[in-house]
Amino acid sequence: MEVRYTDVDYLVFSDAAALMASGKSPYERSTYRYSPLIAALLMPNSFLHPLWGKFLFSASDLLVGLLIHTILKLRGVPEKLCTFSTMVWLFNPFTFTIGTRGNCEPIVCAMILWIIICLMNDWLVQAAFWYGLVVHLRIYPIIYALPIILVLHPLHFQPGKKPALVDWSLRKSKSVQGSSNMRITGLQGIRIFLASIFTWRRLVFGIVSGSIFFILTGLCFYFYGWDFLDEALLYHLTRTDPRHNFSIYFYHIYLHYEQEFSSLEKLVSFLPQFIVQLVIIFRFAYDLPFCFFVQTVAFVAFNKVITAQYFVWFFCLLPLILPWSNMKLQWKGLACIFLWMGAQSHWLMWGYSLEFQGKNVFIQLWMASLLFLASNTYVLINIICNHAYCPVFKQLKHETSNKTTKYD
Amino acid sequence: MSFQDLESGRGLGSRRDYINGKQDPTQAVASGIFQINTAVSTFQRLVNTLGTPKDTPELREKLYAMEVQHFQVQLYLAIGFGLIFLVMNSNAMPATDEEHKFCGEKYVTNTYFKKHDSLIDSQFEEFIANKIPLGLCKVLLDERYFMPRLLAVRRNLIGEGSHRQLSSSIRIKMQGESISKLPAQSCQIIIVEKLPSGVFADPFELQHLLHRGVFTDVTVLGDTNLELPSFRSNRSVVEIHLDMGYNMSSGGKDELEVNLRLPLHARYAPLGHGFSKVEFVQPDLFMRCGFEGKAFNGSCLFMPTNDDVDYKASPIVWEVPCGIKKHAGVVSAVTFLSAIVSALLIVSTSIYHSHNTIFQ
Repeated sequence: MEVRYTDVDYLVFSDAAALMASGKSPYERSTYRYSPLIAALLMPNSFLHPLWGKFLFSASDLLVGLLIHTILKLRGVPEKLCTFSTMVWLFNPFTFTIGTRGNCEPIVCAMILWIIICLMNDWLVQAAFWYGLVVHLRIYPIIYALPIILVLHPLHFQPGKKPALVDWSLRKSKSVQGSSNMRITGLQGIRIFLASIFTWRRLVFGIVSGSIFFILTGLCFYFYGWDFLDEALLYHLTRTDPRHNFSIYFYHIYLHYEQEFSSLEKLVSFLPQFIVQLVIIFRFAYDLPFCFFVQTVAFVAFNKVITAQYFVWFFCLLPLILPWSNMKLQWKGLACIFLWMGAQSHWLMWGYSLEFQGKNVFIQLWMASLLFLASNTYVLINIICNHAYCPVFKQLKHETSNKTTKYD
Repeated sequence: MSFQDLESGRGLGSRRDYINGKQDPTQAVASGIFQINTAVSTFQRLVNTLGTPKDTPELREKLYAMEVQHFQVQLYLAIGFGLIFLVMNSNAMPATDEEHKFCGEKYVTNTYFKKHDSLIDSQFEEFIANKIPLGLCKVLLDERYFMPRLLAVRRNLIGEGSHRQLSSSIRIKMQGESISKLPAQSCQIIIVEKLPSGVFADPFELQHLLHRGVFTDVTVLGDTNLELPSFRSNRSVVEIHLDMGYNMSSGGKDELEVNLRLPLHARYAPLGHGFSKVEFVQPDLFMRCGFEGKAFNGSCLFMPTNDDVDYKASPIVWEVPCGIKKHAGVVSAVTFLSAIVSALLIVSTSIYHSHNTIFQ
């Protein structure tokens, strides 16, 4: 059986782009479930060269490597460690095959990293613009909204100067840990926190990114109508695919597909996801790349549908946290890697048996997906325990911004 | 034609009015009108002589003959007008009656789906029996010029798992009494596969095969959704055209064999006890041949006679694995429990690991 290297998604993009180039709606191509902007990016496929899309995605892949290097350098990571971390992305077989097979994920990853750089350099409006755009393209970055809002704390910024970043070499020192005026203690603390949430920086970010998102969505709705809303937005929010995938919910969805899902069921499946996200955000928001990473891993693990391309979402953030990890490659690091890959291969073996050999192995496949969730949880817990928490921004004294920054 | 001819009673329709062996309609009408005018004036002249010294028995006989002629003229005039009308119609508009429209339709099943929403076997059989016109082609069949006959159809399901291929091998014998008298023609075999509910064909994959030249033409009609399980989707039909490259005038072979492989995919089956059986029905076969010649020019749709083939002997069955209903309770409980346990583990690690973070 010939297994084509090019992903079916690439053919879907190309067809949708060709339809757009001839003035029709890209949603006439069945299974096209993205924003029309992606099809617009791929329009040169029809008149320039059919591989234009793949070149674009591969170039984005390399751009992600460059951005990772930039971020690590900004945070003061030594050269050798910087290079090693960047290689973890560039030479990761999971990730470079995604781009070259024709998936658009590298572009989304590049945008997320650029947003982090903009925030680190205090280019607020630009960060907000790209954030609005990336949420329009892929819904999942909405989970980053709250950490970004939290990190835009007034004590991190001073007018006229670039925000001070915590250097990597100070990651183990106590001075780096936040001082008391940024902590929330007790109920009183929560009230103070909520009252002070509306600072001008946060408002500007929220308004600009929100406007960009609604303007883009509105424009696409104006051109392509309900087709766009159903396929590009609502499908992802209400997707219940009974076909087998890595998620633990797939068999449950298949067995109950003939009946409607009750509100209680939907709530119970949404609750673990929601609570985990909230706790992670409020624990780790100030260490932005780490917070993003942990959030993304948890989000993917508890999602109703998991496909291999979702792994790229956290692989682009992994190099950003490696320099702060106390986990040595031997043997704990290798154990985590092999456990995660092993659980995946185990699932793939049963999936092959079901799909290509026609055996009824639904129960075994479902148990393999439970095992995959367990391995995800184990790896995540290990990463959290071995991480040297280090906020991105230096915290400034509360009094005035004229005084130089002081540390305890 | 002259007045003398008319008066002497010589018949209408002189040889000069015929072109190409048929009477030219406009000439016929013109001569008809001329004849009427002449007859009317002659009739008047003769009537005026009645009761006058010129009145003779021969005159009355002539008058009687003229009445008959008058009637003939009216008849010919009517025919002439009718012919003009027909000629003008056929020149101005393309053939509108159903026969011509159907023969011009590229895909046979398109017409079925224009009238019906979904594929139902009984409706489709009725459609095949009644609506497919063998009209003009009936002439050829009735005269036994052209009688394709189905000798054997062997079908097989190749492969394992959810992606398999339906392989068909069809043998047809071309026979007919005056087969060599027919002009040169090229034939296409049309196979209409009515796919059962649990199986679908990927139209994009078929287009790919079309580009590689595996088929002459292919289309999928009906429910072409690629993702939904079978109880949320309707049946579909695949129509495949294959050129046979048969040229009768060159005196080719009588028997033809066609081999075909159609890639198919299984949908997620309804829940059951392990495996769900999907049974294939027999395909409908047609032949479309294009004739080029003096007597007959165009293309025709035939249904090969089918006495020798017995489909029921070896039915094609595909077993698709399906979810087992009695697992439902256990699966749901364990799924939600695992999700909750993993969530709690991650939450507790995040909270209790020693960091100085936002929450104390």
